Amino acid sequence: MILLEPHNYIIYTTLTEKASQPAALDVQFVDFDGVRFRLTTPDRKVPTALVLSMNIRCWDELVRYGVNEVLAREYTSLLRAEPENGYNVTLDVNLEQLPASGEERDAFIKSLALLKRNALAAPFEAGFQTQKQLEAGGTGQGELMALHYRDEEVIYVQASSDRVTVIFSTTFREETDRVFGKVFLQEFVDARRLPTIQAAPQVLYTTREPPLEIRHLQGLNDTEDVGYVTFVLFPRHFAKAEVAALTITHIQLFRDYLHYHIKCSKAYMHSRMRHRVSEFQKVLNRAKTEVAVVDRKTASGRTMR
Amino acid sequence: MALLAPIICDNGTGFSKVGFAGNSDPSFVFPTAIATRGPAAQPSRGPAVPSKPGNLASKRGVEDLDFFIGDEAIANAQTPGYGINYPIRHGQIENWDHMERYWEQTIFKYLRAEPEDHYFLLTEPPLNPPENREQTAEIFFESFNIKGLYIAVQAVLALAASWSSNRVTDRTLTGTVIDSGDGVTHVIPCAEGYVIGSAIKHIPIAGRDISQFVLNLLRERGELAGVPPEDHLKVAGKIKEQYSYVCQDIVKEFRKYDQEPYKFFARYEGEHAATGRKYDLDVGYERFLAPEIFFNPEIYSSDFLTPLPEIVDTVIQQSPIDVRRGLYKSSGVEVDVISHKRQRYAVWFGGSLLASLPEFYTSCHTKAQYDEIGPSICRRYQIFGSAT
Repeated sequence: MILLEPHNYIIYTTLTEKASQPAALDVQFVDFDGVRFRLTTPDRKVPTALVLSMNIRCWDELVRYGVNEVLAREYTSLLRAEPENGYNVTLDVNLEQLPASGEERDAFIKSLALLKRNALAAPFEAGFQTQKQLEAGGTGQGELMALHYRDEEVIYVQASSDRVTVIFSTTFREETDRVFGKVFLQEFVDARRLPTIQAAPQVLYTTREPPLEIRHLQGLNDTEDVGYVTFVLFPRHFAKAEVAALTITHIQLFRDYLHYHIKCSKAYMHSRMRHRVSEFQKVLNRAKTEVAVVDRKTASGRTMR
Repeated sequence: MALLAPIICDNGTGFSKVGFAGNSDPSFVFPTAIATRGPAAQPSRGPAVPSKPGNLASKRGVEDLDFFIGDEAIANAQTPGYGINYPIRHGQIENWDHMERYWEQTIFKYLRAEPEDHYFLLTEPPLNPPENREQTAEIFFESFNIKGLYIAVQAVLALAASWSSNRVTDRTLTGTVIDSGDGVTHVIPCAEGYVIGSAIKHIPIAGRDISQFVLNLLRERGELAGVPPEDHLKVAGKIKEQYSYVCQDIVKEFRKYDQEPYKFFARYEGEHAATGRKYDLDVGYERFLAPEIFFNPEIYSSDFLTPLPEIVDTVIQQSPIDVRRGLYKSSGVEVDVISHKRQRYAVWFGGSLLASLPEFYTSCHTKAQYDEIGPSICRRYQIFGSAT
């Protein structure tokens, strides 16, 4: 598994299972970036009426960037006007009104499992739209949209007349992770130079120094731990609707992808270390001097062991 | 920020149960299997030797990411190029390389959790060597940078799970746990959250033997004539799971079956996996005889003859005198066996209960403590409800 999937696996498997065998349930689970979900059947006697709620930490910011319109477009009548207490979005799913089994049902369930992705898509879609308006005008810059999606990390999205810039601020809590992260991000920048991936967005990576677009912001962390990754999206990355959707999906998972791969590299290093240790142990075992077995006899002539 | 729910990870020999604290069921239950590139590991005695991961210089791609776990591993077992491995044997982790990657995918692909944001509760079998705990802690703190870790003994969690039963009035971690797996059944006395290691007894009768016994009974009655031979064991296993129950008095039960066979005999219907041919057979006395091999082992085995209640009694007699009363109270001899709805995932459910208590966070070892002291910190864990 190299890429992370965009949809939530628990929502997908649970709904697929409940669609064929409805049963009462009440489960809470999470997704990356501190997103919390709750899937319940409020009335135990009506196991087909499911409620899916999501709590996302940067909801207030998302509302400003038009998340309500995006979700209304994706989920239309499922969206509840008043979300459940403690959550930001609530969907009502009636299992009786699911499309008949087969591909259609699968696609519907998958769209529900993409709830987090769709919510986080709002600022990106807004950015793409602004770019189109600015392009018509020729010059100018859109609003700098900040998304505090984690405690210490922020995504900035800004549209210009010819591009959309996405900036991730990254912090690593752990020394080892920071080293791995640096190598990884540098590799991103270098890999971009390969002739095969010229169509990919341009990547810039800086440590400590914030990029020009956000340098004017107050309260930026400028310690050794922080790094900035900038993606420059050109119109070809979001001109067509399908391509734009894919771009959003991939770019959202960037941080999780990065951390997943840092962890995988550590696991790989560990397995190499374990292998090396067992090799050394073999050498040590070979170096052991053999203890000569001497028969010791008692006075009566019996052997002692 | 409100704390995200702790993750409960119960990795057993056969199946792993993983999910979030506060839920009543694990989010995922899948085989503890990993399908990696290369041949399957030969089942061997002794600890597994770490496989050669290849030289860094020879590593060109992402071979180390090319693997499947759980159900997908089973599905890909036959795919050319892949071999299936079971990293846990007899309850203990044997292959740390595979286990580390197994956890990696469990967390990122299935649970979709950022491990840095979560506390973890893991389980271990009784008498797990402390070195294994240290290895586990190393992986979780150093690879995954988790917030905090608690490693609990499975038997103790099973006791905690019985707190939800309404017959339990006082919340204690004292009792006798009978853990019947596929190969061996353990009788484990626990006193206030500690396992009395010296008194643990093993019984060589477990799930696999029940299946074999059911199979023998069916064969003797000639029921299996219409069943393809490769399905025999599977049918016996299904009958064990779906039809069997424990009776009070065998003689009465036999009489009941003989008087009203139509009422009690059940019909099992199956289908051959490859050809799709259907078959069916009668399920009779084995319904109540199957579990009876625990209580009257002489009907199945000739070399192991001690009934389960007697073993439980011996176990308790070998425990320190001051805890015996507590051990008797919540176990077999007074035929006051506590059973509850969550029996199937009892260990996981117990973990879920404990991890949703506020004390859980204080009992955990945090990342900061680990960095300060090192893996040896995980040799000892504070037992829930005990004074510090």
